[in-house]
Amino acid sequence: MLRLFYSIILMAMLSFANNAKAGTLYNDLGGQEVIEKFIVRTLDLSVTDERIAHTLERTDMDRLGKLIVEQVCELTGGPCTYSGVSMQKSHVGLGLTTAHFNALVEHLQQAMSESDIPNSTQNKLLALLAPMHRDVVEE
Amino acid sequence: MFNGEEFFLFNKKLKKIVKIEKNPRLKFFYTFIFSILLAQFILITPTSAFADDIFNQGKLIATGGVTQIEGAGGSGLTTWALITGYGTDRGVGINAHHTTAWLSDFTLNATGVGVGLYDRVELSYTHQWFDTNEAGGRLGIGNNFVFDQDIFGAKIRLAGNAVYDQDKLLPQISVGVNYKKNGDGALVRALGSTDDDSFDYYIAATKILLNESLILSATARLTEANQYGILGYGGATNNHSLQGEFSIAYMFTPKLVAGIDYRTKPDNLAFAKEQDAMAAYIAYFLNKNLSVTVAGLDLGDIALQGRQRGFYISLQAGF
Repeated sequence: MLRLFYSIILMAMLSFANNAKAGTLYNDLGGQEVIEKFIVRTLDLSVTDERIAHTLERTDMDRLGKLIVEQVCELTGGPCTYSGVSMQKSHVGLGLTTAHFNALVEHLQQAMSESDIPNSTQNKLLALLAPMHRDVVEE
Repeated sequence: MFNGEEFFLFNKKLKKIVKIEKNPRLKFFYTFIFSILLAQFILITPTSAFADDIFNQGKLIATGGVTQIEGAGGSGLTTWALITGYGTDRGVGINAHHTTAWLSDFTLNATGVGVGLYDRVELSYTHQWFDTNEAGGRLGIGNNFVFDQDIFGAKIRLAGNAVYDQDKLLPQISVGVNYKKNGDGALVRALGSTDDDSFDYYIAATKILLNESLILSATARLTEANQYGILGYGGATNNHSLQGEFSIAYMFTPKLVAGIDYRTKPDNLAFAKEQDAMAAYIAYFLNKNLSVTVAGLDLGDIALQGRQRGFYISLQAGF
C-alpha cells in the first residue's frame, strides 16, 4: 500500500516533469492570439481587485495591455519588440509592494488557466517574469 | 543490545520511573482546543484596515510551505528556508497545525503554531505526543505510555528569494535553531540519553525552479536528538552530529504540490538503533487559510519495535 503510494507520487512527478516541448514558449502558450486574450483577461481581473485597482487608476489600460503583450511575446521568443521603457522606469514612484505584484501574478495564473495553458507552461512564463519583482517593487 | 537479564533489570528500572499516571489525551485535547481558540481569536480580530494591512496574505499560495514535523515551515520531515505563512516583507502570517501519524507500533500527534514576520523571521512552537500503544507494554513502560516533547523554533532568512530570483542560481538561505525539551526526563535518561533538553542548529537552502515546476531543498542540521528528541538527546559516546534533510517537490498546480523527503538522523542510543527516515506527501492548499497534507512515512526502526511505516495527515489553518 505504502509502496504504491510512493510509486504513484514518483511516477506522477516524473511524467509531469518530462513534458517539455521543443520550440519556443511563445508557441507553447498558443501564440499571439492566446497571449493577447490572457493578458486582457489579467488586466480585467486586476482593475476589479480592490487590492490593486487603485494602483491602475491613472493607467491607460489599452496601452498597458499592448505593452505587456509585446513584452511577453519578446521574452518568450515571439516575433515582437518591446517598445516601452524599462520596468524600473515605468514603475518608479508607484509605491508598489510584493503583495501588489503577487496579486497581478494570481490574476495572470487564473487568466492562463482559463485559456487552458498547462501549469508547467504557465510556470515557465512566471519564471521569466519573476525577476522583474526587484525592478517593480520598492524596498 | 541487551541480554535477557539486563533487559529485565532495564524494564524494572523503567517501571519505577513511569509511576506517575499521566492523562496525555486530555492534555492533548486542551492544547488543541487552545490552539483553535487562539486561531479563532486572531482570525476574528483583524477587521481594521491595520489588521488587513499587517496580515496581508500577500505571498503566492503554497510559497510558505506547510508545517513540518518539528513545527517549522517546510514539508513533511524537512525544514525549508522559506518563512512560514503568507505575510510578505511588509506583513505577518500566523498558522496553527495539527498532525497525526499512524505508524506500525506508535502514534504521533503534534500540535503547534508558527508565525512568519516580514518574510524574514519565523517563530514556532509545537508539542508532540508519541503514544507507544502496546509497544509500551513490550518496553516495560506500560501500554499507551506517551512521550512528550516541546519544540521551540526560530528561523531567520539570510539571503536570496526562492520565488523571485528565477534568474539566479542562489537559493533562499535561512539559519535556525530548535530548542527541544522532553517531558519525560528520568525515563529518557534511563533509556541512555544524556539530556532531557537540547538545541538543534540548522542551515537550510531552498530553490524553487519555476521553469521545471520543482522545489528543491537541503538542510544541514547539527543535532543530538534521538528520534527527533522523543527519546531524549545525546548518548553515552555521542554529542551533536551533522545530519542532512533533502526534499524534492513538484508543483502540479499552484494549489497542489507532491514531494519526497529524506532525512538522516543520529544513532546515539545503545539500546536501539536509529535509521534514516523518509516521507512522500501530497499537499493541497484549499486557499491561503487552509491546507491538508497526506503522507506515507518510513521512519526506520524505533525503540526495538522494528521498522515503523505508516501514514500521516496534517491540517494547517492560518491567516
